Amino acid sequence: MSEKPITGEKRVFMTGNEVVAWAAVAAQAEIMYGYPITPQNEIMHYWTRLAPKFNKTFLQTEDELSAGFTTIGGVLAGKKTFTATAGPGTVLMQEPLAMAEMMRLPVVVVVMQRGGPSTATVIYSQQEVTLTTFGGNGEGFRIVYSTATHQDLFDYTIKAFNIAWKYRMPTFVLGDGYQAKMREPLTMYDPEERGVELVKPEPYVGLPGMPGEERPPGHYRNTYNTEEELNEVVNDHVKAYEQIQNELPEHDEFGTENADLVVVAHGVVARATKQAVEALRAEGLNIGYFRPITLRPMPDQALRAMADRTKKILVVESAQGQLARLLKESLYGKTVEIVPLFRPGVGVTPEEVMARSRELVA
Amino acid sequence: MAKLAKIMIAGEGGQGIQAVAEILAEAAYEEGKHVLYIPNFGVEQRGGVSVAFLQIGDEPIGSPKFEIADIIVALSERAVGRTRQYVGAPTVFVYDTMVATGKVELPTGAAKVLAIPGVETAKKELHPRVFNVMIMGAVIEATKVVSPENAKKAIEKRLGYKFEQDPKLRELNYRAIERGMELVGEVLRGGQG
Repeated sequence: MSEKPITGEKRVFMTGNEVVAWAAVAAQAEIMYGYPITPQNEIMHYWTRLAPKFNKTFLQTEDELSAGFTTIGGVLAGKKTFTATAGPGTVLMQEPLAMAEMMRLPVVVVVMQRGGPSTATVIYSQQEVTLTTFGGNGEGFRIVYSTATHQDLFDYTIKAFNIAWKYRMPTFVLGDGYQAKMREPLTMYDPEERGVELVKPEPYVGLPGMPGEERPPGHYRNTYNTEEELNEVVNDHVKAYEQIQNELPEHDEFGTENADLVVVAHGVVARATKQAVEALRAEGLNIGYFRPITLRPMPDQALRAMADRTKKILVVESAQGQLARLLKESLYGKTVEIVPLFRPGVGVTPEEVMARSRELVA
Repeated sequence: MAKLAKIMIAGEGGQGIQAVAEILAEAAYEEGKHVLYIPNFGVEQRGGVSVAFLQIGDEPIGSPKFEIADIIVALSERAVGRTRQYVGAPTVFVYDTMVATGKVELPTGAAKVLAIPGVETAKKELHPRVFNVMIMGAVIEATKVVSPENAKKAIEKRLGYKFEQDPKLRELNYRAIERGMELVGEVLRGGQG
């Protein structure tokens, strides 16, 4: 009944939504809470198909607010839980997610970005970057991985559970409608067989023993009486996040040594920019590629070092500057020129990136 | 960017466009090729134009959508209109003879524009149900991205349970692939376009 879902290396060809469901099973998630919204619906569908085979469960809630809060409930009970959403669902979920930030709860959320504002398209965009990194009434104490391939979706969904439980911080896998719906090959595996230790969840509530006598009391609050009380707690979060900023940033780059231009993109758009930069380099142009994998925290040090080595940066995204805002904050004080290629709500092709890059180095 | 076939199939919802793309994608994947397939999808539950973007190549594939297709198969007037923006110098544009060319402008600037009597042939010689499988045969002949044998294997994988119940269906599907290949072969040799 509950044998290992994956043994050995398994080459498969499937949609991104199916990949996420498999990865959550492989990461030994126990329960998913969710409310349907395109384009992430099939994460729920595949999870509900897989769950009974491996003694796992699912709860469909009445909306995304509730999905977020039940995910928090699952975490408090010591379960490895997750939810998935998109678009207006990501907006609704900010209330429970801010609570998870305040209480440092390791909820895992998969966001498959669709077009915005409001209902907009059910298809695709990169317009949920600001919402995923800094949504909610707080300071953005979150960890956000932006995936580009189905292999990333598998690897980083597994990683998200580990990072969330290790650092006790809400952790996001930020995909998009293209990744959700497209099919491409990837290799699935059992993480423990590869030597990846799966961090065990622990309950926050219902622990044995008399609180304050036999064990420290659990004191989990999202409400404070005074400004100073709150300030003290947030300052602790700031300190915890500094450690995260030192330990967790991830990125991918090549060709950035003394480049005339570096193209920066995240997520699925990084595929087009990578393809474009490779083709331009093959033509002999001195152009580099940089992809932040963590958008929260951003890979500040690597970005700043890159900015010192290049003349210009072209920032490419399927949004009107949501990545660019994060980038500018990372590069504060640097004088490198930042040129936008913003295509809000639509995909970006390598041809567009090549054409703009050629203009910039001409 | 090495050899990469960019394929677009478009038609009315219900014509089985996405099934064709999925089976082709599966066949190419089984051949060990790099494949990326993405359906378009919108808020409409039915009545929309259905478009499939399929890329098959020897190296990892970049962005899921593309600007210019190598081959476009458009199976309705609206599909012709919808796919026109993806036509460029290398494009082989295939449309069904049932498309009322008086109602929609055919693309210009393509490498070739070919008309095949898909709907008619499926209805008269085979069965309307296998129209999409015939179109798959047409795509295979036009692109050579997968072998007909592997396409048959992929169909078997998907519909094998139905074939078990009624072996005649298998025969019908296989003939549909071959007939689709012939249709494109004929117009290519006939030099229409």
